[in-house]
Amino acid sequence: MLEYGYMAPAMFAGLVVFMLIGFPVAFSLAALGLTFGFIAIEVGYFDLSFMQAMPYRVFGIMSNDLLLSIPFFTFMGVILERSGLAEDLLEGVGQAFGSVPGGLAYAVIFVGAILGAITGTVAASVIAMGMISLPIMLKYGYDMKIGTGVIAASGTITQVIPPSLVLIILADQLGVPVGDMYLGAFGPSLLQVALFTAFIFLVATFQPHKVPALPPEARTLHGWALASKVAWGMIPSLVLIFLVLGTIFMGLATPTEAGAMGAVGAMVLAVLHRRFSTALLWSAMDQTMRITAMVLFILIGATVFSLVFQGVNGGRWIEHLLSGIPGGQLGFLIFVNVFIFFLAFFLDFFEIVFIVVPMLVPAAEALDINLVWFGVLLCVNMQTSFMHPPFGFALFYLRGIAPPEVKSRDIYLGSIPWIGLQLILVAVLIFWPESVTYWLGQEVVLDAATVGSTLDAIPMPELDMPTLDLGN
Amino acid sequence: MSGLIDRINRYFAVVAAVLVLLSCLISAGNAASRYALSISSNAWLEIQWQMFSGIFLLGAPYVLKLNEHVRVDIIYGGRSDRTKLWIDVFGIIFFLFPATAMMAYMGYGFFETSFVRGEMSSNAGGLPLWPVKAILPLGFALLFLQGISELIKRIAALQGDERMAVSYEKPLQ
Repeated sequence: MLEYGYMAPAMFAGLVVFMLIGFPVAFSLAALGLTFGFIAIEVGYFDLSFMQAMPYRVFGIMSNDLLLSIPFFTFMGVILERSGLAEDLLEGVGQAFGSVPGGLAYAVIFVGAILGAITGTVAASVIAMGMISLPIMLKYGYDMKIGTGVIAASGTITQVIPPSLVLIILADQLGVPVGDMYLGAFGPSLLQVALFTAFIFLVATFQPHKVPALPPEARTLHGWALASKVAWGMIPSLVLIFLVLGTIFMGLATPTEAGAMGAVGAMVLAVLHRRFSTALLWSAMDQTMRITAMVLFILIGATVFSLVFQGVNGGRWIEHLLSGIPGGQLGFLIFVNVFIFFLAFFLDFFEIVFIVVPMLVPAAEALDINLVWFGVLLCVNMQTSFMHPPFGFALFYLRGIAPPEVKSRDIYLGSIPWIGLQLILVAVLIFWPESVTYWLGQEVVLDAATVGSTLDAIPMPELDMPTLDLGN
Repeated sequence: MSGLIDRINRYFAVVAAVLVLLSCLISAGNAASRYALSISSNAWLEIQWQMFSGIFLLGAPYVLKLNEHVRVDIIYGGRSDRTKLWIDVFGIIFFLFPATAMMAYMGYGFFETSFVRGEMSSNAGGLPLWPVKAILPLGFALLFLQGISELIKRIAALQGDERMAVSYEKPLQ
C-alpha cells in the first residue's frame, strides 16, 4: 500500500477530515492542497517551481471555452424557470393524459423529460411540477408515495438528458468532447423515461386505486382548446430544444454558443409569454452569477488539491489500488459504481466529479474503457444522489413545497422504488454498452468533421503548463 | 469595516452579474454573425472567456457573504449555532486566509510577468492578456477581504453583540 510513499494516503485521509468539518469545500480543498504542497517541498517530492504552476492551472479554468457554457445554460434554465414554461406544459399535458389511470403520473414523466432537455436544473423541474401536480394528485386520491416519488424522480431526469450541466462538467474532467457525451446520454435518457413509464403502467394495472384517472369535471379543456393549450406549451419548447441540441449535433455551433443562443431564446420566449420584466432578468443574472461562482470555486479548490495529489504520486497510488480489483473491466465498473453510489449519499455531484473522477480516469483508461460510456454511467449513477433520503436534493425541494397533508415519511418511502429503477438503469448500461455508444458511432463522423472546423475558429490561449508525470 | 467590505464586494457582484448578460449576448452574437455575415473576430471570441473569468472571480466574494459556497453538511448540519460559528471562525483563519493569500500572491506574480511584457493573445487580432490576468489576484484578494468581514461578524455573534443567521441551505442546482 505504501509503495508510492505515505504522502498520498495521508492527503486522502486529510481530504476526508477537512471535508467533514463542514467549512465550504472550495476553500478546504485549496488549503489542504497548499498545506500538503509545502510539506511535500520540505520532504523533497518536488521543488517550489512546481507550486508556481498553480496560477497557470487557474488561468486554464478561466480561459476554458467549455466551462464558459456553465453560466449560459444556467442562465437559460433560470429564465425559463421564472417564465412559467413548466406550468403551461404540465397543465396541457396533464389534461391530455388525465382520462387514463396513472395519466397525471405519465404527464409528469414526459414533462420532466422535456423540461430536462431545455433547462438543466433539477430544482426548477421538481418545484414547478410539485407545485402544480401535487395538489391535484392529493385532491383526486393519488397514493402520496407514488405521487411524490414520480415528481422527484422525473425532476432528476434533467441530470442525464442533454444539455445537462453534469454532462458538460464530466466531459471536461474526462477530456472527451461534450457533443459525444450528449449523444451518448441520449439512449440512456430514453431508456429511463421508458423504465419510469413502465413502472407507472404496472402500478396502474395492478393497483389502479393508487393512481386514479381524473374525473371528467377536472378536465376542463377539450378538443381544440386542449390542443392549443398543449401546442402553446410544446412548440416553443421544441424550438428551443432544436436551437440548443440540434445546432450542437449538426455541428453548427459549439456547446457554448448553443447555450448562449438558448439563453437568448429563453428571453424571447419569456417576452412572448408576457412574463418578461427587468426584475426577472436581474434575478436571473444574479442567480446565474452565484451558481457559476460556487461551481467554479469548487473546481479551483479541486485543481489545487489534484495538482499536489498528483505531485506526490497520488494518481499512481489510486491506480495501483484500483488495479488490485479482480474481474477486469466489469469488476472495476461494479466497484466504482457501488463506491460512487455510497459517496452520493453525502457528496454532491460537483464534488464527486471534480475530486473523485480525475482519480478514476487513469485506471479506466488503463482498462480500455470507453470514457463516454464511463461518464454517462457515472452520470446516471449520480442521479440517485438527488433521491437518497433524507439528504437528497429533489426530496428536499419537494418537502419545501408540498402541502402539509403530505407526510415526510411518504416522500422518503416514495423515493425508494425510483432509486431502484435508476440502479436497474445503471446495471443495464454496464451490461449493454451499445445503449450509449450506438448513437456515437452513427454521428461521430459528421460531428468530428464539422465541429472540428468550428472549433478551429476558437482561440486557445497560450499556456505554458509544466507537464506532469502521471506515470502512464 | 465589515460593512464597508460588504459594500465593496456587493459592487463587484453587480459587475459580475452584468457580465453574465453581456457575455451571453456576445456569444450568441458571435455565432449568429459567423453564419449570417460570415464575420468572425478573435477579439469578440476572447472577450467571452475574459468576461466569464470576471463572473466567477468577482462574484465569489459575494457568494461567500451569502454563505452559498457548498459545504459537506453531514456533520455540520446537525450542530448548534455556536458550534457552526466556531467552525467558520476556524475555517476562515486556517483555510480561507492562507489559501486566498497564497493564490492572490502567486496570481500577482503571474499578472506582473504578463504586464511587464505587455502580453498579447497569440491569435490574430486578439486582446491583451494582462487585464484578465489582473482579475485573478484581484478576485482572491477580494475573497480575503470578505473573509475578514465574515470573521468580524462571526466573532461579534459569538460575543453576543450581534445576532447572526447561520442557517445554511444547499444552493439550488
